[in-house]
Amino acid sequence: MSYIDAVEKIDVPKPPKYHTEPAFEEVFGIPVAYRRQGTGEATVLLHGAGFTRMWIPLYAMLAERLDFIAPEAPGFGATPLPKWLRGFDDLTILYDELFTRLGLDRIHLIGFSMGGWAAAEFAAFYPRRLKSLTLITPVGLRLPDEPGVDIFQLGPAELMDRLFKDKTVMQQWLPDAENFDEGIHLYAEFSAAARLMWAPRYNLALERRLQRVRCPALVIGGEEDGLVPNAMSDKYAAVLPDARLVRIPGTGHEPCLERPRELADVLLDFNEEAAR
Amino acid sequence: MNKLRFYAFHLMPYPYIPPADEIQSTWVSLSNKHYDPHRGRALYNEYIDQLVAAEQFGYDGVAVNEHHANFYGTMPSPNIIAAMLVQRTRHIPIGVIGNAIPLHGNPLRVAEEIAMLDVISGGRIISGFVRGIGCEYFNNPVAPGDSTDRFAEAHDLIVKAWTDDGPFTWQGEHFYIPNVNIIPRPIQTPHPPIWIPGQGSLETLQFIAKHRYTYMMVFAPMWFTKLAFDGLREECARLGYEAPKSMFNACVPTYVAETDAQAHREAKAHLSWVFNTGLKIPDQFFFPPGYMTTKSFRNFIGALKKGHVKPQAELSYDELLRDRYIIVGSPETVKNQLGEYCDTVGAGGMIGAGSPFGPMPNWMAMKNMQMYAEEIIPAFREADGLPDYLRAAPASPRSHAELAARRGAPAESARSLVTGATGLIEHRLAHLPEVIDPTMSGPAATPTASAG
Repeated sequence: MSYIDAVEKIDVPKPPKYHTEPAFEEVFGIPVAYRRQGTGEATVLLHGAGFTRMWIPLYAMLAERLDFIAPEAPGFGATPLPKWLRGFDDLTILYDELFTRLGLDRIHLIGFSMGGWAAAEFAAFYPRRLKSLTLITPVGLRLPDEPGVDIFQLGPAELMDRLFKDKTVMQQWLPDAENFDEGIHLYAEFSAAARLMWAPRYNLALERRLQRVRCPALVIGGEEDGLVPNAMSDKYAAVLPDARLVRIPGTGHEPCLERPRELADVLLDFNEEAAR
Repeated sequence: MNKLRFYAFHLMPYPYIPPADEIQSTWVSLSNKHYDPHRGRALYNEYIDQLVAAEQFGYDGVAVNEHHANFYGTMPSPNIIAAMLVQRTRHIPIGVIGNAIPLHGNPLRVAEEIAMLDVISGGRIISGFVRGIGCEYFNNPVAPGDSTDRFAEAHDLIVKAWTDDGPFTWQGEHFYIPNVNIIPRPIQTPHPPIWIPGQGSLETLQFIAKHRYTYMMVFAPMWFTKLAFDGLREECARLGYEAPKSMFNACVPTYVAETDAQAHREAKAHLSWVFNTGLKIPDQFFFPPGYMTTKSFRNFIGALKKGHVKPQAELSYDELLRDRYIIVGSPETVKNQLGEYCDTVGAGGMIGAGSPFGPMPNWMAMKNMQMYAEEIIPAFREADGLPDYLRAAPASPRSHAELAARRGAPAESARSLVTGATGLIEHRLAHLPEVIDPTMSGPAATPTASAG
């Protein structure tokens, strides 16, 4: 079959700040967008369901000391969404293939929010590829007593309010409501997120599979996450064999945007420690 | 053939909820604690009575549909209501418009239920298929992005299950059924008529044109319904045929009373409720991510912006009337506006014309239906006043005598081996002792206990 035929083509509007042009690597017939900069330990960050197409301050800080790679998942940023992408297993295999094509062998893997789930899945499938695993306000485990809010039921204003504890920072990241193309693009990205996460919002097998992850792991939670219960990061830290939990003061669900300097310092220290 | 067909349509709303400005939405998030089942019982039974009455009033059909987790339309299983209508009516066609086929784990359930209804009703079922509106997906494990593909595959599976001899294996992308062999099969051949309600997207129009199904436009301003109908006519022409008028149904709530003033007095609050309260739905419920392809979403939102189309919840009563979302007035006014409407858009059927809507009390709904039947419908009928279905031959014999006369004996008589008999015996004669033992004749011998 032709994979290209199955791809939904997307026009990619440029965000007003921090936008950079990505490079592309073709995997399974689709051009996967990524940004790569710096030298040092090869470190990959998997983004969450939004804030794509940008070289945000956190990335720049990490690239000062690392070979830092930020790919864009199918349906996000400039990477088109192929019809065959049905779940995190497809995403995991796509990333494995991408890393190989980028000449990466063993890596430090960081995942944020939805990307945290993706990183956990990757770690469960390919534990020996990882030097370390970092999950920032991840999702993907079941919290039986605390299902949390349904992100897909939130209007734009409430979503932003729940993402950020720091409302001053939030103001800098509000989407431009008048920008038609940006609105359509965000719908497309959420559509890709829904393809992966609509139901269920967890993978029960992860709790068992993550036992395979023997590398050092770091779980980063917000101080007070309005979107995903803090219990989620607690649970990841408990399930991963060699993990510790750090909460970044002053943050909600978006430590990457709310406290980039503090977060970068924690990530770099952990990276150095795990690389030894 | 009559100029226009009229279908009494019911959403079966539950109106005892807080007013629109006090709630986020009538769908998804408004708690079911507001639903009082005792009051619901009374409503359901009134609503069913209203649809049953439509046959006596002389409508061309009655219609129900499927919605979930909302107070606007409380028929999560329309086939259940249809089953009751089948039992309480005699000849009138019954439309389920439609079943939301992507939502169900096994589409064969719909194929089976529609077949059951078609058989029991003697071939009176119209089978509509829908994706369900976006809201439907929040109480469902089916991702909205899978809706279009699942719809197409479920449709193909159901039609094949109705038309091909089973058993066969279904190997789809979304459904795998090792042994498709639905029993009963429907009466109507090749299958019950299929109606597709839609909002006018190009994909839907192309699908209808390809299969020559009947289209039903959902609530919309007249200009938009015309746009969609013209689009469908174009798609049919592209495939080399002229679309007959019977392919086009418009959905226009219509209320008639003695005078214009009286009609507005009676209908205003109730018809407004349908749009302003019943359809109060925030965007994120209406368009869950993936429910529309990005391309369709871009076109749709772009068209709304360009046409300055307001959300239905924000339309004033005057706007509803002006844009012909609804028609309200004296018999003269309604006849004129309806005639003009149908000529403009090229409709062959009206859904919801003269039907109960919103929190309208039972007496008012019945008054509207009767006056509509007496004052409006005859103007669009031939001189005999009959609905088309009464002029056509019935799909199935209506009595045992007719069945015996028209179809003779069954292709296979029921027969089996019975202990003591020398060969296969026919069940219709199995109670006759001489059938079991041909040596016996005349007055029956004393029955003996079986040795075996």
